[in-house]
Amino acid sequence: MREPFLELIDIGKTYPGVVALDHVSLSVAPGEVIALLGENGAGKSTLMRVLGGVVAPSRGTIRIDGVARSSYTVTDAIAAGIAFVHQELNLFDNLDVAGNVYIGREPVFGGPLRLIDRKTLRAKVRPLIARLGADFEPDTPLAELSLAQRQLVEIIKALSLDARCVIMDEPTSSLTLSETERLMQVIAGLKADGVSVIFITHRLNEVMQCADRAIVLRDGRMAGALARDELSPAAMIRLMIGRDLRSLYVPPAAPPGEAVLDVVDAVTSTYPNQAVSLQLRRGEILGLAGLVGSGRTELARAIFGVDPLLAGGLHLEGAPIRIATPRTAIDRGIYLVPEDRKGCGLLLDLSIAENVSLPDLASHSRFGLVDTASEAENADRQRERLNIRTTDVRTSVGTLSGGNQQKVVLAKWLSMRPKVLIFDEPTRGIDVGAKQEIYDMLRRLADDGVAILMISSDMEEVIGVSDRIAVMHEGRISGFLSRSEFSEHNVLQLAVGHAI
Amino acid sequence: MKRLWMVGVSAVLAMALGTGSAGAADKKVLAFVVNGASDFWKIAEAGLKKAQGELPDYTLQLKYPEQAAAAVQQRMLDDLVAAGAAGIMVSAVDPKNQTEHLNKIAGQTVLFTTDSDAPQSKRIAYIGSSNTELGKDAGKLMLKALPNGGKCVGFVGLLGADNARERIEGVKETIKGSKVELVDVRGDEIDQTRAKRNVEDILAAMPDVSCLVGFYSYNTPRIYEVLKEAGKLGKIKIIGFDEDPITLGGVKDGAIEGTVVQQPFEWGYQGMKLMAKVVQGDKSGVPANGIIIVPGKVIEKSNVDDFMAQMKTMLKK
Amino acid sequence: MLENEGTVHKKDLSLLVLILVVGAVVAFINPRFLLVGNLSNTANQVGMFGIFSIAEAFVIIVGGIELAVGSVIALLGVLFIDLIVNRDIDWILAFALIIAGGVAIGTIHGTLVTKMKIQPFVVTLCGLLIYRGAARYYTEDATAGFGYGASFPMLEWLTAGRTNVLGFPLPHSVVALVIVAGIAWLVLHRSVYGRYFYAVGKNEEAARYSGIRSDRVTISAYVICGGLTALSAVLLAMYTRSISPAVHGSFYELYAIAAAVLGGCSLRGGEGSIIGVVLGTILLQVLQNLVNLLGIPSSLNFAVMGTVILIGVLADQYLVQRRQRAPSARGQAAAESKPATLERVSAE
Repeated sequence: MREPFLELIDIGKTYPGVVALDHVSLSVAPGEVIALLGENGAGKSTLMRVLGGVVAPSRGTIRIDGVARSSYTVTDAIAAGIAFVHQELNLFDNLDVAGNVYIGREPVFGGPLRLIDRKTLRAKVRPLIARLGADFEPDTPLAELSLAQRQLVEIIKALSLDARCVIMDEPTSSLTLSETERLMQVIAGLKADGVSVIFITHRLNEVMQCADRAIVLRDGRMAGALARDELSPAAMIRLMIGRDLRSLYVPPAAPPGEAVLDVVDAVTSTYPNQAVSLQLRRGEILGLAGLVGSGRTELARAIFGVDPLLAGGLHLEGAPIRIATPRTAIDRGIYLVPEDRKGCGLLLDLSIAENVSLPDLASHSRFGLVDTASEAENADRQRERLNIRTTDVRTSVGTLSGGNQQKVVLAKWLSMRPKVLIFDEPTRGIDVGAKQEIYDMLRRLADDGVAILMISSDMEEVIGVSDRIAVMHEGRISGFLSRSEFSEHNVLQLAVGHAI
Repeated sequence: MKRLWMVGVSAVLAMALGTGSAGAADKKVLAFVVNGASDFWKIAEAGLKKAQGELPDYTLQLKYPEQAAAAVQQRMLDDLVAAGAAGIMVSAVDPKNQTEHLNKIAGQTVLFTTDSDAPQSKRIAYIGSSNTELGKDAGKLMLKALPNGGKCVGFVGLLGADNARERIEGVKETIKGSKVELVDVRGDEIDQTRAKRNVEDILAAMPDVSCLVGFYSYNTPRIYEVLKEAGKLGKIKIIGFDEDPITLGGVKDGAIEGTVVQQPFEWGYQGMKLMAKVVQGDKSGVPANGIIIVPGKVIEKSNVDDFMAQMKTMLKK
Repeated sequence: MLENEGTVHKKDLSLLVLILVVGAVVAFINPRFLLVGNLSNTANQVGMFGIFSIAEAFVIIVGGIELAVGSVIALLGVLFIDLIVNRDIDWILAFALIIAGGVAIGTIHGTLVTKMKIQPFVVTLCGLLIYRGAARYYTEDATAGFGYGASFPMLEWLTAGRTNVLGFPLPHSVVALVIVAGIAWLVLHRSVYGRYFYAVGKNEEAARYSGIRSDRVTISAYVICGGLTALSAVLLAMYTRSISPAVHGSFYELYAIAAAVLGGCSLRGGEGSIIGVVLGTILLQVLQNLVNLLGIPSSLNFAVMGTVILIGVLADQYLVQRRQRAPSARGQAAAESKPATLERVSAE
């Protein structure tokens, strides 16, 4: 094994109230392929951002070619030959391949006119394309490329910068099988050229296929490292979990009642070839687990009428219903607390009272005019019930903390009569205290007879709060788990598409 | 792909429209290109029709550019030349700056100017009024209306336009030395709301104004209306240009002293007849300096009835 | 808190101050500015321009733009005059038809914007061209007018007349504006529907997630805009009494947008007050009046207008920034002292 050129030693990163990384070390030798594993929130992204110079670590040493750096920025990272292939690709749809690769570094001629030297540009990009064996030309418009091809463009861009280490964040999460296979070959090619690759993934078979070793993070710490000959799915999953879940679980007051909402063979536009069926029962919290992009949010949006269902249907209390818009869903008592709180859940400039009354203004109005007194009264009631920490319901929602904002979203729906409540990542970006309050509220609502669907990528939350878990994988339900079957291992297995 | 499809459709449309007008292509085309849309040119069109009756071998067309802008008009001229027009008579939007372009047109076809001349250009003839002369006529009307002198304010669409400037010049020349004084001329960019508003504001700003002059055809009716609403008809004199129906009505009931009209009918009629001759090679009708002035006419209470009757017959289809 | 809930908003207040300052300066230079006749004339203009400015504001508040205002005014004005003068249709019926026409145009625009997902700028730009062309084609580019002596006493009195109120000849266009503004104020600032307008303008997605049928709300904003524009088209037609379709009302959409922006509307949507829009219109019309009264060359008219709008917007921005800077100064300092130092050193 060659000498590592890049070493992260004992890295720690704390954000106010959160330890994101704690004593994490990582070294990269030329031509090495390292898989970085861990659950959502284990600290993988933070570690990579430290490596890319985007985030300065709170503690620890970064050594490049054996030299310790007192400061390390994005510029340093690029100079050291570290290149990112982002999950959300940073490319320009309106340029061609070559233009994207050399964006900001275009070869120019014509003196002060700074005209782009297209010929040189293309000549520089062509060999790089050949090196990866990609099937497009330097002047192919990016808009015509598939996602997999765009990833290659990112990699070409990295190579054009003489990258020694390419970091890929879940590169295969949205690729088809054959595209994934191609990417594996590209990674092998990079390795052969002496370029190292660090890739974050949830797909264990990819790790088996191409990694030299795997680093597993858990809760911001090193859970372990596996050498090539130690790699096995079982070993990796063991390291990823390996922790006692704090027991959050509060059992329901009564066993779940009859079905409230039946989702029958629902097909969404993201996965047009997969149908989803599930049942929400009175008084039950159904956790919906799965990897990011497995189609959970799309399902929630379709049930709530934001997006149309391509096929299949819904039955509410036994009767078939058709939901075309959120309005019809709301009128039938089906409510959604969306994942994107600021973009979809709330109007940040409006006051708490105005946000809370928005879906039900008819009950807070007389002769079409808003009855602000009744509106404020209702908001005040909800404020007390949900413990929203503010003195005045006339303050704008934008000034509240994440937890309090989420409570305002909840207050909206609790002022009406929910039958079905769908939560999409209910506690994302919320501090621990507020989290617990929201879990308590979920249980209370369930005990009051509401059927709850809780989408969550937080393992602790899924296992600690749900009465039953459904796991999605690439657009379909890969399995249901009852309380006795709950384990991180089982959830993870189903989430990556394996049977238990 | 979609874009291509759209281009195709527009091309087909354009061809369909094109064939419609090309139906009479075997006859030589003489075109009269005006500087913008107005009723005034309807009268010229009547003259054109009369000429058409006498020129069966030609197709006479009156063309309105879709905007009163030099660029739009130039494109229209180019299109006409391209379509093979034998002669073009044009009321240039901006004659000074269009000279070069007009020369290009003159090189390819018989070019007359009308309404506003482009004397530096190689046009064969100008047929129309002299705005300075018209202004002088108006100045005389003002002197007559205000024997003891007084302050006057004028209203016009485009202050910078040549016809406006020459008319104002003519007025000033005539009233020079008298006690009649043209203290201001307000422009309105041909926005009638503003035109009317300008009159209202001047009444407010200058209580001692004794005569208002409408330099463009729509200015005079606006003056008339404002004075009527303010109850000042008769107290403040009105002098007008052109033959808007309201202006003529005002002249008839005595509220307007008089209006100076041009004779676009004659421009259309005489111009086209002359152009047909020139196209045939007979240039004898064109004077040495190329300028044919059709004098304006002063319409006052005494002759307004005759004039209105004449107009009526002219505009009858 | 919705910025617009208050009866008189701070922004409105500063606009009022600006109007009073401009008015005082004009009155000082030329006292005839304050003559009853002049004020009445200016008020009349405010009445006519105010109505279609409010119309524009509705569309801007839901995050759209309506560029066809001027062309619609020309087309509907031409049609109105033609209906009552040449076709001898009773003016009440004609008036109803014109309003219906405006509503129809609004419906088309709103539907294209929401259902076909075409950008409002594009939809209404096409409208601007189409209606102008239609108006010119309809009259064959001739001026549509009442001619000499044509008389519709009742209609004229209602639309262009003035009633003496305590010695002030109050133009009826102002009465119309007061009624329109009153209703618009109630709708926008007090009604359920108004709340929806602001919500959709601010964040259409969030509005949809709250069960607001955002398409319907957007369409209705264009419909209101069309209807009110039709009303002002009739008033303007009765004021000029003659319409040359090629130029009548051109650029009026810009007056409307300017008034709306002066009145606190954000072109991003979700902001603006009716009182502000009316004040904005007043300021614009006072400026026009000023140009004439102070004998400023007519050619500078637009330049004066543009300058004052720019000054108004700049001053407003300055005030907003000052208000924001005061409380957050501490937070900013804290944020800056963080790891930036590390990064900055190495950038060299």
